[in-house]
Amino acid sequence: MQAGEVDAVIDAAHGNVFLLAGAKRALSEAGGEPANGLLAALPGRDYLRLLGEFELVALASGQVLYQPGERIGHVYFPNDAVVSLMVVLELKALQVGLVGPEGMVGVPLALGAERASVRAMVQGAGMALRMKAASFREQLEHCIALQRELQRYAYVTLLQARQTAGCSLFHQVEERLAYWLLMAHDRMRAGSQKITHELLADMLGVRRVGVTNAASNLQRRGLIKYHRGDVRVLDRKGLEAAACSCYRTVKALTG
Amino acid sequence: MKLRLYVVDGAPNSVLAIANLAALCKKNLQLSFKLEIIDVLKFPRRALADGVLVTPHLAKLSPAPVARIVGNLSDSGSVRLALGITT
Repeated sequence: MQAGEVDAVIDAAHGNVFLLAGAKRALSEAGGEPANGLLAALPGRDYLRLLGEFELVALASGQVLYQPGERIGHVYFPNDAVVSLMVVLELKALQVGLVGPEGMVGVPLALGAERASVRAMVQGAGMALRMKAASFREQLEHCIALQRELQRYAYVTLLQARQTAGCSLFHQVEERLAYWLLMAHDRMRAGSQKITHELLADMLGVRRVGVTNAASNLQRRGLIKYHRGDVRVLDRKGLEAAACSCYRTVKALTG
Repeated sequence: MKLRLYVVDGAPNSVLAIANLAALCKKNLQLSFKLEIIDVLKFPRRALADGVLVTPHLAKLSPAPVARIVGNLSDSGSVRLALGITT
């Protein structure tokens, strides 16, 4: 077990239950500050109206939210979960976007499409607020602030995908790995990320051996610690220097 | 396999523990699971009687050996090990 995995402590002498901060926050959630950046940017009145349509769900690592071509049933606003968006071609996958507490999974719905074009798979377990597709469309129609936020966010995802297209073709595996680890690090609350070799290979669209070499090199340089699927960033500045220019480009363009 | 999960309904780690456990059960349908979920805010005495001091807390009651796991069950390897799931 890691620190932060407990909700409550029970006093054995009296049977009183003491809630820890995270649990208290979640239980008194209505009216509280939203954890998701898109929702936090909305006027309080709009957020409260949306809250009625949301349900809080836990997303487990490796859980697939959509496959390409599937009808989108729900949109997800991560509180602290991180979801990887992958293009799937002939059984091979390539990560083209990463959605954390700054974004939303299910952008096609906001642009008038009904089906997913990528696989959305949970990379970092955590909580998210989700809403049924039909309710989302209805709410979006009436909420100008949400429309504006999602237009801006859709543009961000477009930039990320364009950058990835160039990056995958022209940059080396090791610098691409550093780039995606930084993107994930920006979005994760926990100090370490659970990422299997298989997922890393899928993220980068390369074979497992290529990932092993790249991860070993980053580890040898003292930038990350990688042990049994557990990635910890040791030297953030160093990792930024090791990443391809795409990290800085995406950061500068998206603010 | 008889399991009992002690939670605080709606609290993040408890919701996560339930989701992780559901995913594990789904992946191991060949085993038959009997799961009871207890909200310690509603039944604190029950938790106390069972020696539960923090939540989420998963107790494996049968088959022997009994086991207890504290936390949100995200580390599926350790959970499988504690429950004796080898497949």
